[in-house]
Amino acid sequence: MVRSYHLLLLIIGLIVFSCAQVEKKPTLDGEERPTIKLEVKKWELSNGIRLLVLENQTLPIMSYYTFYEVGGRHESPGTTGATHFLEHMMFRGSKNYPPEVFDSTIEKFGGSTNAYTNFDMTVYYESLPSAHLEEMIEMEADRVRGLLLVPELVEKERQVVFEERKMRYENSPDGKLYLRMMQEVFKGTPYGGSVIGEVKDLEALTPDNLRAFHDRFYVPNNMVIVIAGDVDADEVYSLVKSNFGDLSESSELVDFKKQTDARSRYEFKSKKIADDIKLNGTSPTPLFMYAFQGLPVGERASYVMDILSSVLGDGESSWLNQSLVKGRRAQLSSVYAANYTLQHNGVFFFGGELARGQNLSKFKSGLQNLIKGKMCEDAITERTVQKTKNQYLISFFQSLKTNAGAAHFVGLRESLFGDYQEYKKEVEIYESITTDEVKKACYEVLINGEGIFLSIWDKHKEEKGSR
Amino acid sequence: MKFLSTLIFASILSTSLVAKELASKVHKLNWEGLEVVWVEDDRFPTYDLSVYFADGALSDNPNRKGESQAALGLLTTGTNRYKQKELVDHLEFFGVSHGPYVTHEYSLYNVSGLVKDSIPTFKRLCHMFADTTYPKREVDREIKRAKDALTNMVSDPGSLASRAFRELSLAGTPYAYPVEGKLRDLSRLSSAHLKDKLEYFNKNVAKRVYVTGPKQILKIKEILNNECGWKGKEANFKREITFSKEFSSKAPEIFLVAVPGSNQAQVRIGRFLSEELVQPREAVELLSTYLGGGFTSLLMRELRSSRGLVYSAGAFAAGQKSYGRAAIQTSTKNESAATLLGVVRDLLLELKEGKVRDNIFAVSKGRLMGSYPFRFEKSSDFLQQLIYLDHVGVKYQRFLDFPDYLSKVDQAEMAKWGGQIFDWNKQTIVILGDKSLAKQLSELGKVTVVGYKDFL
Repeated sequence: MVRSYHLLLLIIGLIVFSCAQVEKKPTLDGEERPTIKLEVKKWELSNGIRLLVLENQTLPIMSYYTFYEVGGRHESPGTTGATHFLEHMMFRGSKNYPPEVFDSTIEKFGGSTNAYTNFDMTVYYESLPSAHLEEMIEMEADRVRGLLLVPELVEKERQVVFEERKMRYENSPDGKLYLRMMQEVFKGTPYGGSVIGEVKDLEALTPDNLRAFHDRFYVPNNMVIVIAGDVDADEVYSLVKSNFGDLSESSELVDFKKQTDARSRYEFKSKKIADDIKLNGTSPTPLFMYAFQGLPVGERASYVMDILSSVLGDGESSWLNQSLVKGRRAQLSSVYAANYTLQHNGVFFFGGELARGQNLSKFKSGLQNLIKGKMCEDAITERTVQKTKNQYLISFFQSLKTNAGAAHFVGLRESLFGDYQEYKKEVEIYESITTDEVKKACYEVLINGEGIFLSIWDKHKEEKGSR
Repeated sequence: MKFLSTLIFASILSTSLVAKELASKVHKLNWEGLEVVWVEDDRFPTYDLSVYFADGALSDNPNRKGESQAALGLLTTGTNRYKQKELVDHLEFFGVSHGPYVTHEYSLYNVSGLVKDSIPTFKRLCHMFADTTYPKREVDREIKRAKDALTNMVSDPGSLASRAFRELSLAGTPYAYPVEGKLRDLSRLSSAHLKDKLEYFNKNVAKRVYVTGPKQILKIKEILNNECGWKGKEANFKREITFSKEFSSKAPEIFLVAVPGSNQAQVRIGRFLSEELVQPREAVELLSTYLGGGFTSLLMRELRSSRGLVYSAGAFAAGQKSYGRAAIQTSTKNESAATLLGVVRDLLLELKEGKVRDNIFAVSKGRLMGSYPFRFEKSSDFLQQLIYLDHVGVKYQRFLDFPDYLSKVDQAEMAKWGGQIFDWNKQTIVILGDKSLAKQLSELGKVTVVGYKDFL
């Protein structure tokens, strides 16, 4: 969720979305400043399924999201990639919708479907004409209760996953660098693995492994369903209840999660993570990342760091762009900053690409001096903080322009915080963040902290055993 | 099945009503000679605006390819009054997104933001259009950045493959050269050239403004007329070009673009299409969906689901005003490259023989029919559709009647166009990967090996 909280700047402006209600608040300058109240109907079934519905009758279409609260951090050593592999297999047939029927049915309706997996969750989504609501709910329920996992298809899908791995990481310097950065920063914690999976682990995963994973995590008290579009909320509730209501909640999962979610498991194992890691990749000029220990999502300080990352690295006018890319002696071709907040921890990082002819080690020490020098004072001003808030506001509107965007927005918060209305708190926090707070975070994280510097370049030597 | 058909029909019917309602929100305005298409949408306090210029990279001086892209892309480098930092800071303060999209035939300058900030935004944008000086120091730095980005494109194999594919598959046509130019072109660009080019777009090229948002956005009229200077009928040049290419080859051309050390082969297969091949728009769109749209397309089923050869595979055939392109794009591990090409060849030959798979055809047609309302979900997407229709000279009604036209396309018609467009023997095949692939590819025919740097 890299700076996804840009979407949450609901501070000012007007939104007239069918599933949103506009409220106007008087402000000090007398101008009415509307804010937003999303019209969401929420139920919790007796087996723990949480259902959220946003009615929007603008067009005869809908989007359906299912958030399973299982991700790469729930894997054990030797089974990295299992969550993501299972996500692929969820499209490979269930009891009443055999292989190739699930996606064919959706696409024949005029719909589309896909999914994504990260360290914290696995998310499935469909967008289709709302006339097919009932069948869509049946199909989703069928793959929870009757996933097939045909061995022959598992083998074929394994090859597909390998191809994805090659595309996203092995043949992509950006992907390879990012993967390694996460592994280094979160070393020794559940975030220190690899969502796509290590090759040897992927080779070893069996249908039985995947079945065990599915049985443990694809249970009602680990699911959030969100449907947005031209639907009747009460009808949706009835359909979800009739299709999912007889699934049993898992008490074993509750116990398991008590252990896996223990905060101590996610804490950084070392307060100092300074290191210099060099990777080989097909990049004629070095790409770099400079990563610092961050914070989990939901803490005020992590929202402050969202703003910090944007002030420093979002847009051409940002401080890092002006200093390193647009300056008289440009050292970089591109630069960015990001605050990646996961459920139980986070990472703050800079990244970019060196301009041709620049010396990597000189750049590294120069960057460190720049950061430790006057960056926090120069970059963070009333104007740059306000600019960031304005930019977040636009992103927020953009994200709510579709049913899919609205469904994802509320589902993400329900899954992460247990309450979709958390966005109201986020709004208040963002609204109240001051320039001094951002400066303070800058000092604490970047000046007092230490980071790992990683680079990838075709002139670096290949590490032994790397693949 | 009858129930399903009824549902689909009901869905399309209600969409059709929505489409008609939406069509009534499309207003054509004339702002002192400047044509404006406004899609009224008051659901959000935001706007999306595109300035359409009826010329593109085909206008570039042969010795300075890429200058249209650079002229429109470097508007923020500086004016007589403001420096680069002041220009970008002003626009970013309002959260404005802006930038050009240059094709060979036409160019767009896209802007989006909050309506409440539209006046200061467009005042600054028009100031840039009217007064950008392209300071040498700024231009030199941006050219160096562009060169670095091109040099580094090898780290993005998908983009590099597509770039090489365009040049090789459209060779001999005016559309082969990349709009942003190549390394050697970038060195030739200067402030004076860019200023001339911007003046050409401002004063000579016909333009039209497309905008969606609430009524308040129309307040920018005076700014566009007077500060951008876009009014009157003097700027009326429209790029028109007629070109046809004869295919005499009896076998596909195979190119290996060598990138040392790559462990995955990027595959592109396709060709140049003359105007007549893209006229049956609905049939061609159905063909694209059948071959390579979504998870259930022929290519995805055969290459991914059945064989596990690829992660994704897509196909398209589509046209601009004077030409079109067909392409299949996918990637696979090195050792599977020849196998993959063999499978694709057999599938295309099957299509040429008029064999269409009933189930995939039904899904593809249902998909296009049923997904039609999604084209209206975001006004900005709808706006882009209108820009395209105007550019190619097709009436909006054709788009609004899309389901009717599509319903008449049967398997035979789709196969007829598919057999011509994706005729295996007329395809250009581009594989980007390690040079060791040459041996296995030679099983399919003569392979020409080229270095990737030729395309930078």
